[in-house]
Order: sequence, then structure tokens, then C-alpha cells
Amino acid sequence: MSKKIISRSVLNWMTTTCMMIGGVTVTPPDAHAKIYIEPEKTDNQLEEKVFGAQTATLENGLQIVVIENSRAPVLTHMIWYQVGSADEPRGDGVSGAAHFLEHLMFKGSKALSPGEFSKLIRSIGGNDNAFTSWDYTAYFQSIPSQYLRAVMALEADRMMNLSILDKDIESEREVIIEERRMRTDNDPKALFMEQLRSAMFQNSPYAEPIIGWRDEMPKLERQDVLSYYQTWYSPSNAILVVSGDVKFEDAVKWAKETYGKVPARSVPIHTRSTVPDRTADLRLTMSDDAVRQPMLMKGWVVPSFAEDKRAYIGFEVLTEALSGGAATRLYQTLVVEKKKAVSISLSYDGDARGQGSLWLYAMPTPDTTMEELEKEIEILFREIVGNGVTQDAVEKAKTRLIDQAMFARDSVAGPAMVIGQALAVGATLDDIEYWPRDVEKITREEVQTLFDIYLNPVTPKRLPVTGLLLPKESKEK
Amino acid sequence: MKKHILGFLLLGVMIAPASGQASVLDIQSVTSEKGIAAWLVEDKTVPVLSLQFAFLGAGAINDPDGKQGVSQLLSNTLDEGAGDFDAKEFQEALNDNSISLSFSSSRDNFSGSLKTLNKYQDTAFELLSMALSSPRFEDEAIERMKQANMARIRSNMSDPEWLAARLSNTVLFENHAYARNSGGTLSSLPKITAQDLEEKRSKQFAKDNLIVAVSGNITAEDLKIYLDQVFANLPETAELKTLEQVPQPEGSQIVQHKLPVPQTVVEIAYPGLSRMDEDYFAAEVMNYIFGGAGFGSRLTETVREQNGLTYGIYSGMQDMKYADLYSIGTSTRSEKVAEVLNLIEKETMKIKSTKVTAKELQDAKSYLLGSVPLSLTSTDKIASVMLSFQSRNLPEDYLDIREHEIKKVTPDDIKRAANRILQNDKKTILLVGAAIEQDNQSEAIRYIETLPDIE
Repeated sequence: MSKKIISRSVLNWMTTTCMMIGGVTVTPPDAHAKIYIEPEKTDNQLEEKVFGAQTATLENGLQIVVIENSRAPVLTHMIWYQVGSADEPRGDGVSGAAHFLEHLMFKGSKALSPGEFSKLIRSIGGNDNAFTSWDYTAYFQSIPSQYLRAVMALEADRMMNLSILDKDIESEREVIIEERRMRTDNDPKALFMEQLRSAMFQNSPYAEPIIGWRDEMPKLERQDVLSYYQTWYSPSNAILVVSGDVKFEDAVKWAKETYGKVPARSVPIHTRSTVPDRTADLRLTMSDDAVRQPMLMKGWVVPSFAEDKRAYIGFEVLTEALSGGAATRLYQTLVVEKKKAVSISLSYDGDARGQGSLWLYAMPTPDTTMEELEKEIEILFREIVGNGVTQDAVEKAKTRLIDQAMFARDSVAGPAMVIGQALAVGATLDDIEYWPRDVEKITREEVQTLFDIYLNPVTPKRLPVTGLLLPKESKEK
Repeated sequence: MKKHILGFLLLGVMIAPASGQASVLDIQSVTSEKGIAAWLVEDKTVPVLSLQFAFLGAGAINDPDGKQGVSQLLSNTLDEGAGDFDAKEFQEALNDNSISLSFSSSRDNFSGSLKTLNKYQDTAFELLSMALSSPRFEDEAIERMKQANMARIRSNMSDPEWLAARLSNTVLFENHAYARNSGGTLSSLPKITAQDLEEKRSKQFAKDNLIVAVSGNITAEDLKIYLDQVFANLPETAELKTLEQVPQPEGSQIVQHKLPVPQTVVEIAYPGLSRMDEDYFAAEVMNYIFGGAGFGSRLTETVREQNGLTYGIYSGMQDMKYADLYSIGTSTRSEKVAEVLNLIEKETMKIKSTKVTAKELQDAKSYLLGSVPLSLTSTDKIASVMLSFQSRNLPEDYLDIREHEIKKVTPDDIKRAANRILQNDKKTILLVGAAIEQDNQSEAIRYIETLPDIE
């Protein structure tokens, strides 16, 4: 998968339900004799708010969102900056400043010495971490609820008082380079994805890896990080999300007392240059000694949430309908019936301020060549074009997406994650709360049209990029 | 499939911190009419239900010789057609009702997990019941899952962390059944037949090795009916072989699998302490201060924060039925491996020879006790914590016991635990990465060219 988020250390809680994130599993297929009667979608499920979140905005522009949930005496506090690696200056010879800053935010401020932030959180029985994406950067703490105000004070402090020693910049730069080695340089699949993405997002800031290019990371200096911090880390460019055991009024009051002290500051407009229409077919092939399992990848540039909300929901339904689990069309055709693939998936990444993308991944069976696999996928896509997206598949996909929203409340950190991410790329709270109602409105025809425009193998709106990851020839023989 | 850095270390780390504040976990002991027992935490605030269960001892250790991967393949095929449903119909029934049903197998146990909205719970339990009692094991599905597993193995063969896990299996467990690859090998998977799967299912899934944990919006009375529906027809007794404990290492060693990658995966392993050991809780606190905390731990402070030599360094305890392990895991650019090993050695000496400070102890206890509710924030997390207690035969009030015991731990206890665990002559260093320079005093590296139990 395209590495959408990279974080300061291993995240292990992000398996919570994420309906807006598009990262869900399992879905329904074409009709067969069924013995179960499906419960009807009630109006209740469609009209009720998913999270019942409440919101307020401070004078300095900080938006506050609170999801009350008192099942355990804990909460998750997240601050989302609506800025990511795509906002770094381009062409200045360095990359990875957004992510480097995320690391350095733990290296001291007016109130705290280097490393003290995380230690304090641990000492109150909490966990903390942070992550950076192309369009947003988030810091979070899961803590016993009585410490909320104290944690707000700490987070507000580093929003305006970051103070880093030179020696910490030196050592932390080595840490992020080790992070890159672990995530990317040690892994041929990740290296290939990085190059594929870079080719596909020609002229877009999404072409650059969040963590930075290997040769540009060592050149990151204090000024790169600080100028990014001073430009973008403003309360008016941030969203505070608190989910868990807290009353809305208390959260707002404490936020005023803490974050309210951070001076208002305006931020520049985000620019996202777009991918030009490309008429040349783009194919990348990488053969590597370490690779034993060939893999096919295809990527298409498509509209994101920010560009077209209705299309965003349509793409969520489309990918769910065609590839939402083992009973759906792609798996059933390529893996079960034709035995050309051992796995196949189609996923949508539309949570972006700029353009979104669709990604197809497939692994051939041992006796299938990559040419055959590609051919079979093309045959299937040709079948789907025109009238091949079935009503049944669409309706089931919608039901599933709507059901997922009901699972979303069975978590404390999950709702903060879902809401923060959606707001960070330009959604409104209502877009999230009424997601089931909006999903329900999507029609089969809309989904079909999206497929026909973007995934039509003969005349797609934008040619996909195709990647073949292969074992070294000598090993295949 | 999910990939964790230092996957097996995290497992240990994640199991350990369940603790304190039993009031948060209000466990009811439920027994159905036909005698099926379960632990239940009722939660009416969500329209959701999570059930987790395990058949103890029915994991990979009880796969037939020469057929590594039977448990894995069984976990993949139980939901590929059962009762009246063929594979596609079964998957459709799950998908159409937004039911998450999955099976998995560890070295020791075979387990299952069901998560459903209340409105689909009748269907969910019926499907689970069918999967356990009448799976079809059709050739097509078995072959498809074999191919998927072989593709997974081939795909993992370019992953240094996965290779490191294979190396540690081989070296730490040698001739014990734990050394096998639970996920199967490229040559063992093709040998597995429908009969192997059925044999395992019919003989190793029984009432006497079953544990069940449930959390969510369901009453004890309703649960009892479902328990009987799903589990009451199981045989009374499982046919399982028991194994010898993994023997203690005879000496220290350093073993490497050479791989041309820029970063070397490093693991240092020692025998651990059993959960029944009187120093277990002292060891838990020791581990937190030493490397378990991640940020703030001594190892992270030294190796990452002060020297920038790694992205992550963790330590953790892993308790299995036939072995207890203590391990430290990290990764660093290959030319710095010796330096990282030296730094870890210095910290090891320090925690064995000097008492931890009062502040370190206080902070560790605060975290270990205070963070318990964080692991109880969803129905599946709660069910999973309960199942981990049951699988270790811990009582329902284990969190209270743990809290009481952790509060009592002193700096002397920690020093003693450190000395019992971190013994030089029982240390195994495992490396996957490029060849490294060693100084003259260092122990000679033993190289393993071809890792067993992959091909």
C-alpha cells in the first residue's frame, strides 16, 4: 500500500474502524440464493449523527471538536495541523522537513526539556505519538481523563515555544535516516512504490516521499524546520479533537485557558500543483535479487474529497463494491474463477487537499505471467465498463459502509482519528456526521460513470501508471 | 497482512500491560445450560458485540510432523464454505451482514474472533457455528489458500524483520516444535490435505480446551443460548500431545544470517521468567524502565535519543506455554551494529549492578497501573484482554492482584530480577543484515546461510 502516514514510532492502535479513511475491509458481491433476510436500513441509522460531536472555535482560530464517551475513564487528545510534507518548499534541495519537525517537536520547548514530553505522558499512565502525511500532521495522547487540561497546556506550549538544541537536531536527523532505512531502503517493495508514486504524481507535491529522498534528508537543517514551523503551526491552522471521558463545556473551557494563549497568526494558502494529462504510457519495471514474489501495481489519478465530495463517496462505494472482500468481483473473477491471481485489491485514497488516487495491487499465481495477469484484468475491466457495475453490488457496498459507521463508536481513539483526518483535508463536521445519509444517496449509475471515466481500460480520462516488481531474471530460470 | 516492526516483541509487550483497576473490568462468569463457560463484560453503550475464543494447545505445536502450516491453513479455510454454503456464499453471508469473523493460530493455541452489530448477531453466531462444526474443506478453497500462503511467504522473503523472526525461531528453539514455522513452508503447504484439516478440527477442538471471552451489548441470558448453539456439540476432550519445556541455552552465542541490506535487524534474547515466578512483577517493572517503555526507557534514551543510532529499540517479555523469553530488538545501519551492541551491554550492566532511582520506579508504576484502562476502550480489546487472562489460567481479579504486587516492587527486587534474566552465559545475539566488523575480544559469529523452514 502507499505509505500514507509515517509516524514517530510504531503505531499499533490504528486498527480501529475508519469509515472516512477509506481503509476498511470486507464487502458484498452479486446476488446468490440467500437464506438470511437483511434487516432494513432504518431511517434512524441514516439520519442519526455518527458521532454526535460538538464543536467550538477559539478567538485565535483554533477549532475544537469533542466526542463525549464515558465508557472508560480515559480519552484521546489530538491536535491536527492542516499541513504536511506537500507544503514544504519545492526544489530547494532538501525534503522531509515536515516529518523532521514532527520528531523535533518532542525535543523541548519553553516548559519542557528534550524528551520530557513523552516521559511526562508515560508517568501519568498515558501513551503518546505523532504522525505526518502529505496534507496533515497530528500529535496525540491517550490518557486518564483527569489530566486533559495539563496535556492541553503542554501541547499549547510546544505550538508556540519550540526550542531545540543543535545536538538534538544532529542526532534526530540520524534517527529519521534510520527510519527511512527501516521503512524504505531495506524493503524493495517500498522502494518501488516510492518510485511508482513519484512517476504517477508528476508535477505534484505528492510525488515526494513524506520522509524525504535519501540524498536530501542529510541536508535538512534547523532553518528548514523552523521556517516551516513558524509558517504553518498556527492555531488557525489547527484542529483540536478530544474523544472520550470529558464534558464538552470543560474541554472548551480548558482549551481557552491553554490554547487560547497562543497568538493568532495567519497562514499562507496551500498550493497543490496538479498532474498534467499524460499521453505517454508509463510503465516501471524493477527486478531485484531479494524479490521472490512478482507483483503488479496500477495507479490512477482521480478526484479527491477536496475536489469533488460526491465523487469521493462514489469512489468509496466503487472500491467497496468491486474489492471489498473475498466475495466481490475482482477476487471472485481473478482469484477464484480464473486462477490468474493469488490476491487482488483496488483501493481509493481520496483524503487529500490535492488530487486523489486509486491503486490496484495483484500477485499472479506461479504459472501466470505478468502479461497474462494484466490482460485478464483488462478483460474484466472491459466487462465492467458500460453496465457491469451491478445494482446488487452497489447496494451491498452501501449497506456495509453505513454499518461501518456504527462500529466507529466502539472505540475511543478511533473517532478522533476519523474526524481529525477528515477535517484536516477540508471536510465539515456534517460531512462526517451524515456520512450514512450521503452514502445512501449514491446511485449505481454514478458509480458506473466513475468507473467508465477513470477505469475504462480503452480510453481512461488519465492513463494509469503500471508497475511490475519482478525477481531477477536469472533466478526465474 | 499486518507487518509490525519487531512483531514478536510487540506481542509480548502488548500482552504484559493489562493491569490495575479491576473496577474498570466488571467480569461476569457465565455458564450455559450445557456447561459452556465464558467471561462476559456487558456494555450497553454500543450496538456491538465481540466474542473471542481459543482452543488451548491446538496451535501449530500440534500440527502433524512434516506438515507445518496445518493450523494456519485451517484458520484460512474454516470460513471458506460450511454447512449449506459454498465458499462464496459463506463469504457473502459475512459481508452482507458486516460480520467480522476470523481465525488464527499461534504456536500454542488456535483462536477465533467474531465482531458484529447486534442487529446481525443471530446470523453471526449461526455462521460461526457452521464454520466450527461443518466446514466443507473443498479442494478449490484449500488450493487457493495454499497459493495465498505461499505467495505470502515468498513476499516476506524480502523482509529482513520476517527473516529475523525465522532466524530467532531456529536458533532459540532448535529441536523443539516451537522452531517450526507456524505459517507453513513452501514445501510443507502443498502436502496438506483436506483430511489433515478435518483431523485437526475434529480432534483438537473440544470443550476441555475451550476458553471464551465476550464483551458488548449482550446479556448473560442471551449469551448462554448462543454459547450452546456454537460450542455445545464439540467433543468433550481434545486429543493433544504435550511437549517438553524448551531447554535453557548452554552458553552465549552470536548468530547471523547475512543479507545485503543497508540496515541490520538486531535481536538479543534471554530466557524469561514464568508468570508464576515470584519475581515476575519485579521483572515487569524492570522491563519497563530498561526498554519496555519505548520513549523514556533507558535503551531508547541511550541508543536513539543520545546517539541517533536507531529509529526504535524495545524490550519485552514473552510468555508461552513451553518457554519464557526476554528479548531486546532494534535495527541500525550495518556499520553501527557493534556500537549499538556495546551501548546495550553497558545499559545491561548498569541495571544489573545499580538500583533504579526512586523517580524511575514511581514513574514506571504509575504507567504500568495507570495505563490499564487504555487497553479497555473497545469491545474487542476487552474481550482480548480477558482471553489472554484465561489462556494463562489467571483469575478474574488478576488486575487487582497485579496492582497489589506491582505496588510492592522495590529497587532491590528490580535489581534481582535483572540479574536473574540478563545472564551473560544465556544470551543469544541474532543479526540479519550485512557482514559487520568485530573487535578481537568479541565472540565469533556463527553464520546461518540458509534459514530452515521457509522453502
